[in-house]
Amino acid sequence: MRRALRSLTTLLALAIALAGTAARAAEPPDAVERGRYLVAAGGCVTCHTADQPDATPLSGGRALETPFGTFYSPNLTPDEGTGLGGWTDQDLERALREGVAPDGSRYFPAFPYPAYTGLSDEDVAAIGAYLRSLRPVRQAVPEHELPWYLSSRRVIWAWNLAGFRPGRFVPDGSRSPAWNRGAYLVRHLGHCGECHTPRNLLGIPDPRRELAGTPAGPDGGKVPDITADPESGIGRWSADEIVMFLEYGVLPDGDFVGASMGDVITDNTSRLTADDRAAIATYLRSVGRAP
Amino acid sequence: MRPRLLPALVAITALALPALATSATAPADAIKYRKAVMSAMSDHVSAFMLINFGKVEHQAHLLPHARALADLGAQSKVLFPAGTDSGDTDALPLIWQEQERFGKLAADLESASARLRDAVAANDKAGTMAAFKALGESCKGCHDRYRKADD
Repeated sequence: MRRALRSLTTLLALAIALAGTAARAAEPPDAVERGRYLVAAGGCVTCHTADQPDATPLSGGRALETPFGTFYSPNLTPDEGTGLGGWTDQDLERALREGVAPDGSRYFPAFPYPAYTGLSDEDVAAIGAYLRSLRPVRQAVPEHELPWYLSSRRVIWAWNLAGFRPGRFVPDGSRSPAWNRGAYLVRHLGHCGECHTPRNLLGIPDPRRELAGTPAGPDGGKVPDITADPESGIGRWSADEIVMFLEYGVLPDGDFVGASMGDVITDNTSRLTADDRAAIATYLRSVGRAP
Repeated sequence: MRPRLLPALVAITALALPALATSATAPADAIKYRKAVMSAMSDHVSAFMLINFGKVEHQAHLLPHARALADLGAQSKVLFPAGTDSGDTDALPLIWQEQERFGKLAADLESASARLRDAVAANDKAGTMAAFKALGESCKGCHDRYRKADD
């Protein structure tokens, strides 16, 4: 009897362990790993994690203060009520590439869909696989705090008409693979221009002044010019200096950055492969310069 | 009465002198000193990187820079006396409201810079890079939360 009971317990434990594995193994492990990398490279963690030491990554709730009001990032874990539980691949693809929620409402461009629109099909699928592999966290986030003229999301429709150009990234055949990889990371996945490219009064980034910096950044502080201009930008930095900055957050003069960029280094660029950091440096050294 | 009072006064004055000397440090000077030490640390980091990443020779200078960083890193906790939260400084008042959290970051700087010095002294390349990363994390962690963003 006792032996039977013991083997039953063992069997039960085994069944539970297997069920757990089965639930986790629903996604192809390669895609999950690739998605984990892309989510780090895409800066998702930085905005979608509350600014508290014990916050669960990607469970949302971070306040993003902008000249247009305070936005609270949504919960990206697969919780049914408060997160992305029940989302299909198509839902995620529409959100990332078009800025449209499953219910058809539009996201404010505080969510960088104007940059993510360039993501490749494989990257979108891998991001979905990784997000679904996360442990669901039940966490509702506050409503955005916005001025009256943004109280209707129909405003976004008008904004999109003026400022949003949907479309996949198209490599430039006249440039090197490293340059193209860097362009993909900077313009799309890493969305550097969201902070570093100046915007007009409607908040639309000026494509002719890509990465030229702005006096009013997300911290209320100045966002530097990171074009290859030797005076206003980082044209005097060597490629190695750019790479070291992205890896350690250290400036060529030995100072370490803080504020928003400090978070970007910690959550995003320090987690990239050395090749990807080098690709970003290759691309940045071309911005604002004749090819 | 009078003859006894004088030695007592002298004694009290003598005891009070060091305290007076300390409190006589003007906050503005304490801030200037803090900035000088911070700037010295960043110069050592910059020099350290130039050698460590093979941009210049001077291998023999690597240890002096690492030692200086460890010595100065150990000082960071005394660079933020009360009353130095305003004036010509980017240090945010939050430092003095979160002494425990701030103190932990200062301790991280001290231990990371000590590890860097020890790894360089032992000619341990991998350990040097790991300690440099930890040093950067402590600098960045503090600047993230407690230094005013550029304006």
